[in-house]
Amino acid sequence: MSDLERREFCRILTGCTLIACTGGLAGCARLLDWSADVEAGRGRVATMAVSPPSLEPSATVVPTETVPVPQLPDLAVFSGDDPAANVRAAVDALGGMALFVKRGARVVIKPNVITGRAVELATTTNPAAVAEVVKMAYEAGAAQVIVLDRPTGDPRTAFEGSGIAKAVSDADGTVKILSDRNFERFDIPEGRVLTSWPLVTDIFEADTFINMPIGKTHSMAGLTMSMKNLMGIMGGTRGTIHQDFHQKIVDLATLVKPHLVILDAYRIMIRNGPTGGSLKDVRTPKTVIAGTNMPSVDAYGATLFGQKATDLKYLVNAGAQGVGVIDLSRLEILKGTA
Amino acid sequence: MPAEKRRRRGIHRFRRASQWTFLVLFTALLTLTVWPLGHVFLGAFLVGDPLIAANSIANGVWTWQMLIAVAMLATPLVIGRAFCGFVCPTGTLIEAAGRRSKRRLSAHARERWRTVPAFVLLGSAGLLLFASGFFLLFDPLSMLTRTATVLLYPFIDRMLRLIGDIAYLVPPLRSATDVATTALTGRLVFAVPRVYGLSLGVLGFFAAILGLNLLEPRLWCKHLCPLGALLGFVGRLAPAGRVVDADACIQCGACEETCPMDAVREGFLATDTSRCQLCMECADACPVDAISTGLRPRKSLYSPSRRAVVAGGGLALLGGFFTYTGLSRVARDARLVRPPGARREKDLLALCSRCGQCMKVCPTNVLQPSLSKAGLEGFFTPEMDYRVGACDWACSECGKVCPTTAIQPLELETKRTTRIGRAYIDQNRCIPWTDFKTCLVCQELCPVPEKAIVVTEDDVVTPEGVAMKLQRPHVVVDRCIGCGICEFNCPVAQESAIIVRTIDL
Repeated sequence: MSDLERREFCRILTGCTLIACTGGLAGCARLLDWSADVEAGRGRVATMAVSPPSLEPSATVVPTETVPVPQLPDLAVFSGDDPAANVRAAVDALGGMALFVKRGARVVIKPNVITGRAVELATTTNPAAVAEVVKMAYEAGAAQVIVLDRPTGDPRTAFEGSGIAKAVSDADGTVKILSDRNFERFDIPEGRVLTSWPLVTDIFEADTFINMPIGKTHSMAGLTMSMKNLMGIMGGTRGTIHQDFHQKIVDLATLVKPHLVILDAYRIMIRNGPTGGSLKDVRTPKTVIAGTNMPSVDAYGATLFGQKATDLKYLVNAGAQGVGVIDLSRLEILKGTA
Repeated sequence: MPAEKRRRRGIHRFRRASQWTFLVLFTALLTLTVWPLGHVFLGAFLVGDPLIAANSIANGVWTWQMLIAVAMLATPLVIGRAFCGFVCPTGTLIEAAGRRSKRRLSAHARERWRTVPAFVLLGSAGLLLFASGFFLLFDPLSMLTRTATVLLYPFIDRMLRLIGDIAYLVPPLRSATDVATTALTGRLVFAVPRVYGLSLGVLGFFAAILGLNLLEPRLWCKHLCPLGALLGFVGRLAPAGRVVDADACIQCGACEETCPMDAVREGFLATDTSRCQLCMECADACPVDAISTGLRPRKSLYSPSRRAVVAGGGLALLGGFFTYTGLSRVARDARLVRPPGARREKDLLALCSRCGQCMKVCPTNVLQPSLSKAGLEGFFTPEMDYRVGACDWACSECGKVCPTTAIQPLELETKRTTRIGRAYIDQNRCIPWTDFKTCLVCQELCPVPEKAIVVTEDDVVTPEGVAMKLQRPHVVVDRCIGCGICEFNCPVAQESAIIVRTIDL
């Protein structure tokens, strides 16, 4: 190899290396973009593989007994001084947790953890009630119980400040702080306005999804209960959701149908919701409403605020679209004290 | 025999170990400086910095932790600038970066450089007297804290995120990734990736200081570091230090060659005690074992001439004076919102150590280094950038980590009622006001118990002539604390339609 050839060779080599490095750098940016995608969804459109099976109580009760299966209520409403006992009584009245959680199931609970505030302020779902549901799920044989939400601000301050992190881990449940990678864009085939959105994939992977809101006022929704609580599983920038809000809430509910809905109304926030912050705005009905249909649960929940289901536009839409029954007179409601 | 001579003796054998230990400690403490703060975080490292403490005390701030700084300031009397050689984590990095280099400045240039520390001190004093903490930008501890906050932790955040994303591609690793993410979120990896303004500027600044090694290893430590200059000033009075046995000395010059601090003088027999860090590299290099430590070392100190002091001091005072007459002391950028607990603007400019710990601990990333809003003097002081985050209702950590109380520590309840700014709705851009569509995100998320944003239901007629009822937001001035949750969450693209401006402080 002559000197000239060698020089030429070196030049080509350097050139190639430079090009490769530039390519590599561009790759870095793409890699980081992909990794730091705050919008979530990454442009992929995935349809739900399995929609959460709507629960057929008669089908899931194992017919070992010969006695006829008792008619289970649509809603169980229990009051009492202990938030945990209320939850247990209400779920038992609905047929027991074993009806909803099969042995070895992966259970996802979605409380309202909007921001970190003390339990007395009724900003977030009662930690004792959440912990009780975690325990009941384990008692029913769940393999894993995950509690998740996407707070509006910093997730750690929200979960720890609300006391939910501690209550759940004391009950051996797992708090899951969501990352962008936990969201995927899902189509909402029956959505009229909202046709697709990045949602938490865990909801769809879970065997049982339990929606566990707290009752609060909300300037736009009127009241935020179980249907509005599902906004917490939405990724991306949620600000624009507030246009055509009432229909979007219903659209989401056509896709995401929790197997169990437990509305915590031990304390409710009657003004300045959904963040609140003053004891003056808190009332204590000391009640839990459990059911399997979000609009029905919310329809009853509205009565605690002295409102009717028909006062809430999204409930009216939900009723009209057949997402759930909001006429309380058509529902079997079991009331009791725990 | 020579083999025996080269054997290292005394505590200085552990110098490198000590340096790296303190660097690791520093990094560990800074890593722990996150919400929620435990008892252990970086604070003490910077509270114990004599330069920062001197500035605080000169501005009338005293906390008992500053006793550490006072003790630190006295150490050069006994052990020279051992801080520089054994403790300073910035010095460790500078030394590590320049270890291979054999470059030396010319004798003439060294002579010149030796005069610099005196003027660094004069310049700092001039700024200090006119209540400007600008010189703390060059404090080594503050500098390293800032560099790590702006560069290291966002880097770790991105890398962990990337590793997590890659691990997530493998389904069996998913639950482990989720557990790790939950454990690390808010500590090392963040819900929204960490970003800081000025990241390239900080990189350049730090690279420049490391780059001074190219002229001569540890040039920064020797001649430019203001903390080193302050410690050296005390070191002038040292009653103990390096002593040379003049009878044994063979005048080989090995000590001067080895000295990393340029402290050997007068035919190798005297020491500049304002520089000597007592690393005793000279003793290890000495072929005849003539160097040891002892009382009454022979000193050779540079003292600037009276004329130079007057001229330098005069310039320094002028510099201080003109920062004092700077625009930032009278007029304030309307968007310059300081964190809750921050002192009045001029006190903050005087006290702030520009270390960036508050930005490190902030869980929402809202605290950002100021680039221009506070003027050049306020470079790297903390400001709220509500495009990036908003002040979290559950957090008041920035005041707790502040080593100078430029941000005063506030109880959470006090912080929640401390007004730092005020939100204004831009009715030309707000969705209900200008687009006639519903949107109440600001009202929804306002964290003040009696919401500072109220909604009126108005009868409106759209430009197309459609009459409708529409809820529209208004700010109630007496309730707004300026936390910026509204501005951060406003869905209007790019510039929020509700903007927090500073209130007169």
